[in-house]
Amino acid sequence: MDEWGVAMTLLLQEILNGIVVGSIYSLVALGLTLVYGVMEIPNFAHGHLYMLGAYIAFFLLTSAHFSYWPALLGAVVVLVVVGLLVERLVFNPLRKAPQVNAMIASVGVMLFLEALAQAIWGPNYLQMPTPYGNVLHIGALSVTQQQLLVVVAAIVMMVLLNLFLKRTMIGAAIEAVAQHREGALLVGIPSGRIAMLTFAIASGLAALAAVLVTPINLLFPAMGTMVIMKAFVIIVLGGMGSIPGAILGGYILALAESIGGAYISTNYQDLIAFAVLVLILSIRPAGLFARRA
Amino acid sequence: MKLAQKWLALAGLVAAPMMLVACGTSGGGGNTATGGSGGGSGTMEVDIGYTGPLSGGAAFYGEDVLNGIKLAVDQINKSGDITVDGKQVTFKVVSLDDQYLPPNAATNAKRLAQQYHTPIIFCPHSGGVLGIEQFNATQQPNFILAAYTSEPAILTKNDPLLVMIPPRYDAYFKPFAKTEMQKFGNRLGLIPTNTAYGQEWTAGFTKVWQQLGGTVLSNNAVDYNTTTDFSSVVSKALSEHPDVLFIGGPSQPTALVIKAARQQGFKGGFVVMDQAKFESMQGIVTMDQLNGAVGVMPTVNYPGPGIQNFVNLWHQTQGADKTPNSENALNYQTMWVFAEAIKLANSTDPKQIMAKMADAIKQVPAEDQPYGVTGITPQGHLTGPVIATYIDNGQYTKLDIPPIE
Repeated sequence: MDEWGVAMTLLLQEILNGIVVGSIYSLVALGLTLVYGVMEIPNFAHGHLYMLGAYIAFFLLTSAHFSYWPALLGAVVVLVVVGLLVERLVFNPLRKAPQVNAMIASVGVMLFLEALAQAIWGPNYLQMPTPYGNVLHIGALSVTQQQLLVVVAAIVMMVLLNLFLKRTMIGAAIEAVAQHREGALLVGIPSGRIAMLTFAIASGLAALAAVLVTPINLLFPAMGTMVIMKAFVIIVLGGMGSIPGAILGGYILALAESIGGAYISTNYQDLIAFAVLVLILSIRPAGLFARRA
Repeated sequence: MKLAQKWLALAGLVAAPMMLVACGTSGGGGNTATGGSGGGSGTMEVDIGYTGPLSGGAAFYGEDVLNGIKLAVDQINKSGDITVDGKQVTFKVVSLDDQYLPPNAATNAKRLAQQYHTPIIFCPHSGGVLGIEQFNATQQPNFILAAYTSEPAILTKNDPLLVMIPPRYDAYFKPFAKTEMQKFGNRLGLIPTNTAYGQEWTAGFTKVWQQLGGTVLSNNAVDYNTTTDFSSVVSKALSEHPDVLFIGGPSQPTALVIKAARQQGFKGGFVVMDQAKFESMQGIVTMDQLNGAVGVMPTVNYPGPGIQNFVNLWHQTQGADKTPNSENALNYQTMWVFAEAIKLANSTDPKQIMAKMADAIKQVPAEDQPYGVTGITPQGHLTGPVIATYIDNGQYTKLDIPPIE
């Protein structure tokens, strides 16, 4: 291969890698932005719900001998229930308290979940088995089946979520509450139930993302902290509460990291991510897709 | 104005959990017994301190170190062999979580020394050790700092109460570089962990590589703990066509880097920093993928006099499926040295214990030396045979590491 070919291969490979990571970022950020939109809570425990989803799937795979897809589904179902419980037990009682109380409660949930996971599964790194470990070569590019799966599954989920929000009554109700809480109440939308539902969907999405990506990475109690910071950057970048913002923001951040890593320095990957954030905010101070003023 | 307030609030929100996490250091132990004080007639309790990561991303590493110390303490207490002033000593480990942060390590060490009067405090990371070295021998109460880090810089601080446990990493540079250069070629790609330890290792190793006539390619340091997918950084490093990749951080993420490199078609060798252990990579990479890698020898293959006994003991106490690693074994062995030194000194005074270390090393039963310990340098470094490995055809072949002190 000549020099030009090598350069192109690297660029395409980095775009591919960026899309894989971006898919995960977007799925996690989607849940976070949904919860913020409806409940106006920055849910710091979101990354730890993601971690819990991965552990549930790991348990189903290794101890209950499920195969991959049933385990994925099982983890999503369990996390939907966990999401409902967290909303009812932690956030619902605080709905009339100042917003900062709910925020602190979410930090509490985060610390609780991490300690719980460490107590049950120990602090060690675990490897989640996957039937999709083979490598595919497309020209000079290489990608594992699992990485492709992440990309395809994320797109399918985003389409489904969009259909749900735009084409169903419940989805429309969620959007209505996100747009104007009091107004939604006035027209008879039960905001309590919508909050529960939103939390459940967000937790389910987190579990899905976790089970998709964990076979590529590792499973450990602190894994949630590394995605949550990125997810917050994404939803600020995309516009707090905005769904297209979360999706686009996820891909932008991941591509900036992989391409920036390749052409500037891998050492500054996180710095590049924040530089992108500053750049976008200086042009559009409320994020890419700001909600109504 | 409203917007600015919102942003300010948001910045606060993002920072808040970080700070909470940082403050949330939880104390282990929690008892108020004081080390060195007399128990009933004929017995006394001595507390042994530990500060290291017990929560967060490095918790597994801290637990490994702690479990080695605890097992030794159990065995020593069972033997009933250690006495001071005719009183039988019972050791007890008091552990505090520092979340891998140097400032927390220093605070914990002060608390252990003042509240528990621990004559010895273990710390398993170079940042914490360098912080604690500022005061462990100069401020009252003194204590011996048992440093489980391979960073040679800790030996340069003239700390008379320092004991460095593992082999220093600079001893690996030349043998590793020579082996890999000979087998694969002289272009070295770099994907090290971006910690202070990782960057020091990288700087030292690349210098030796260049002295031997090799070419060093760009430095693609990454955070091994927070990277979601290593494909990106591996693609970057491989685009420069290295013959050998220099890698290493925590074992399991290091295994992911090896796996990603092999998946992207890399056929060359690996130089693996001593933080990463091959035995902990099992299940993530195959031995086939590890072929051509040079790194530290797995503990079970170490030729120390007590290795078999230690492995059996580990299986009995921790579970038959648990494989002991060097964190477990080296700290276990070192705790035995300390116990013998306390016995010989007939005191729990740190200076007197330190004075007896060289003699104590000879007293440690062979069966309790999984790695073998032969002496201690004037700077406080424990010496013993150092063996690394080159993985050839799925087998761990022996690579002797000559001492550099």
